[in-house]
Parts: sequence; structure tokens; C-alpha cells
Amino acid sequence: MPRETGEPTAENRPVPVWLMVLLFALLYWGMVFFDRSSGWFDAEVYAPYASLADLQAFQPRGGGFSAEHFRTIYESNCGLCHGNDGKGKPSQAPPYVGSDWVTGSPNRMIRIPLSGLSGPVQVNGTEWNLSMPAMGATLSDDDLAGVLTYIRQTFGSKASPITPEQVKKVKAEIGAHPPWTAQELQAVE
Amino acid sequence: MNYGPLLFLAAFFALAGSWFGFVLTPQAQLGQLQATNLLGGSIPYPQGRPGLARQGLEVYRANGCADCHSQQLRQSGTVCDVVLSAVGTNAPAVWSALQRLKAEEGDTRFRLLGVLTVTGALQRLKAEEADTRPTTLDPLPSTPVLEGLTPAKADAAAKALNAAGAKAAVSIVPVGPDLARGWGKRRSVARDFVFDYPVALGSQRIGPDLADLAARQPDAGWHLRHLYAPRLEVKGSAMPPFRFLFETRRIERSPSPDALVLPRPLAPPPGYEIVPKPEAGALVAYLLSLRADAPLFEAPLTLASGPAAAEATNAPAASDLAATNASAGSAAASTNAAPTNAPAK
Repeated sequence: MPRETGEPTAENRPVPVWLMVLLFALLYWGMVFFDRSSGWFDAEVYAPYASLADLQAFQPRGGGFSAEHFRTIYESNCGLCHGNDGKGKPSQAPPYVGSDWVTGSPNRMIRIPLSGLSGPVQVNGTEWNLSMPAMGATLSDDDLAGVLTYIRQTFGSKASPITPEQVKKVKAEIGAHPPWTAQELQAVE
Repeated sequence: MNYGPLLFLAAFFALAGSWFGFVLTPQAQLGQLQATNLLGGSIPYPQGRPGLARQGLEVYRANGCADCHSQQLRQSGTVCDVVLSAVGTNAPAVWSALQRLKAEEGDTRFRLLGVLTVTGALQRLKAEEADTRPTTLDPLPSTPVLEGLTPAKADAAAKALNAAGAKAAVSIVPVGPDLARGWGKRRSVARDFVFDYPVALGSQRIGPDLADLAARQPDAGWHLRHLYAPRLEVKGSAMPPFRFLFETRRIERSPSPDALVLPRPLAPPPGYEIVPKPEAGALVAYLLSLRADAPLFEAPLTLASGPAAAEATNAPAASDLAATNASAGSAAASTNAAPTNAPAK
């Protein structure tokens, strides 16, 4: 009668060395990959950019002011009432197109957005009696000069540009002024 | 339950781990996100949507627009172009600088269309004036002379051109399949959605992406006609008509200024007009507020001053899908074209 063998039992075997090496190599690669392309979970770093330094290298150079920039300012500040085409809107705002307020004296034009304009005003032979708030008071000198230049040169006229220095000078001259009337502005050269 | 505590701990840590990863960490990262100032300007971005557009978001939600339209643009990379805006007085120096750059970059993977155009103009001048060196150069307004450079190389090239007396600038150009379709100018980022609740990101693109819709189609009348009869404006559109957002009514004393102007088969019978209901007005106001092309720190770009959106397309991402939808939908369109346009009474 053959002797019964006992139940087979599992034995301990050491983890093979090659597997350990492979795992460490994978771990190392994973850490390098994370370091290179995670942006370290920075909230400002989105997919095509690998890190904050990478993102900074792609920032626009030198101000980045362009016609497009001032068009954006125009459409978000002036265009709502004066129309994106500068033709004005009935009972909201007079047109820029063909207006001598636009092509006329820069000093006069700069004053309007800085303090607003209320009361009757003649534009293209039509009388408007509305009230414009000081829409440009919060814009920087550069932005206000740029957007006024945009208005002067876009809507069918090619008047002289307005510089930030001119805006700065006018700001210093008028200080905090209540809304202008058309008569006050006509007196400005 | 021999292992009760162990099972509890395992479940606890699994749930706690995902809560940390998917709720707490994003909240810590983006929970405090605010409007910011545009690059190089003082305009805050994003600006809250106007009240009507906010109502429009509810209409957008109620009609399941987000089931077919996404609002998230992707971007596969960013490149730098060197843009020549003026040649200046010393054209020969600019010319030789361009030639040097062409020699440096010419054999690489970068495109040099701009350089070839400029040198082509120069060579034409040369032949006409029989001069070995050109003295004048017709300024090509805002021509990218080098495209697809890395930031460092673009800076070096711009410096070389500026040193020669030209006016060259580096412009930052996001690239990717979505942007190549003209759907937008840069990728969508979390800040674009700060004032939206809920955020209508969408997950499918049966129709085109709408993240930057207002930039490519700013006309409210177009949107109204497109909602009423999509194929009127977009050939082969897979979008169902949303005619219940409109009302066909008898013209009272004078026709409404809001009435749709439609071509013959869709036009209402004489004496009637089709006007948008308030929902349609709100939806269009919302659609016109979808504009995410502002340059941000986290999504930089240089805005081109020229009309660059000419090749913008409204075609859906999956063109084969659109084709199948179009063929399937053409039968449906012919059935629902005329009868729904009948007067209300």
C-alpha cells in the first residue's frame, strides 16, 4: 500500500530581482514624466503648457496693444450705446460717423468720456438731449487714448490720433468735473 | 463578518481618496477663481452675462443644447510667429537679415511662406530696377515671416530684424484642430466659466463647439433664423428646428420689427408674421454672450489686427457623423418643413 503524500503546500519564493528593477525603473520614469508635464498641479497651467516657466515663455511681448485690443475696449464700453458700427442708437446715443465732435479738437473729445456729457447737443444737425455717464473715467490713459483714436480713425474718418500724454494732460486740467454741457465743450479749443 | 473593520476601512479610504482627488483638490485649486484683467489692459474678464443672457442659459439648458454642442475648445500647442509690420528705411539690411534667417531655419520643419513672399517681392523689384540691392520695399502689413517657432528662436529672429531697422514683433499663436476649424482663438480655461451656473460644458460634438460662437457669428438675426430653420443658414445642418420658440401670429396694426424674414416656402401666409417668443430672445442673447477669445495669462495669445476669422466654419467636428446625420435628417426635414409653418388659427 503506497504511502499517502501530504497535502501540497506553497512555499515562499523571493521576488525576482529583475521585477524589482523594472518596477523601480517604471517608478523613476513616472516621476520624471510627472515633473515634466504636470505643471505641479498649478491652477494656471493648462494642457499644452508643461509648466509655469513654459507658460511664461509664451506671454505676449511688448504691451500687446493692437487695433483688436482697442476694438474690444470700444465694444465693451462705447459700442453698447453708440453701436459697434459707430452709427449710434435712437434714444440711446448719437452717431460717431460723420460727426465733427469725433473729427474735431482732441482736447474736446477727451473731456467727454472723462466726465460724461448731459443736456442738448447737436450732432450731424440733429439735436440729442441725453445724458452720458463718465464711461472713460476708469480706463487707463493708454486705453482711453487708444479707444479714442480707434473711434477717430475707424468710423469713416481719418482724424489725428490721440496720445496717452494728451489724455494725461486733460485729466490733470479738469480734475473731478461734473458732466459737461455742449456749450462748455464748444468753448474748449 | 470576520473582516468587518477591514472592509470598512478599505471602503472608507477608497471613498476618501476619491473625495480628496476629485472634490477637495479641485476646490482648493480653482474654488477661489475670480475675474482677472486682460493681458495688457484694464478690462476685467470674464464679465458677468447680462440678465437676458442669464435667462438664456436656462433656455439653453432646458432645450438640451449642451447634449449636442460643447463649450470647451482644446489646444494642442502654441507656437510663435515673427510678424513684420514695417520694413523701415534700410530695406537691404532687412533683406539680408531675412536671408540669414531663411538660411538658418530654411531646412527645418518651420514654414517660411512669409519670407519667400517678401523675398519674392524684393526680387521682383530687383529685376525691374536692375539693381543688385533693393532700396525700397512695399511694406507687407503684418506679414508673418517665420511661422511655428519656439519662443526663444522667435525672440532671436525678431531681434535680428529689429536690429536691421524693420519693425518685427513676436506673436503668440495657439494651434490645434479645434482652432484650425475657426471655432476660437485659444483653448477654454476654467476662468471662462466663472460666472456660469451651471457650466454648460457639453460632452458631445454633434454640432460645432460654441465656446467662441459670438466672435464668429455676431448677428442676432442669423441666430433667430437658424433656430427657426437651421438649414436655411447652414447647409446640411443636423440641428432640429426649434420652432416652438417662435410664434406665428396675425399682424395687428403694424408688423413687428422682430418678425423673421424668411424665404418663400417658410414665409408665413400674408397677414401673418413669425416672431420670436421671449425664450428665443433670451437664448440668442446667451449665444451672443458666448465669447471666449480674450488673452489671459493662462491662455496667452496675440490678437491679430486683421480679419482672421474669414475661414471660420460652423461644420461639426465629426464630418462623417455630420454626413450621416445630414442624409438621415434630410428626409425628416422634408416632412416637417411646411406644416409647422401653418398659421396658429
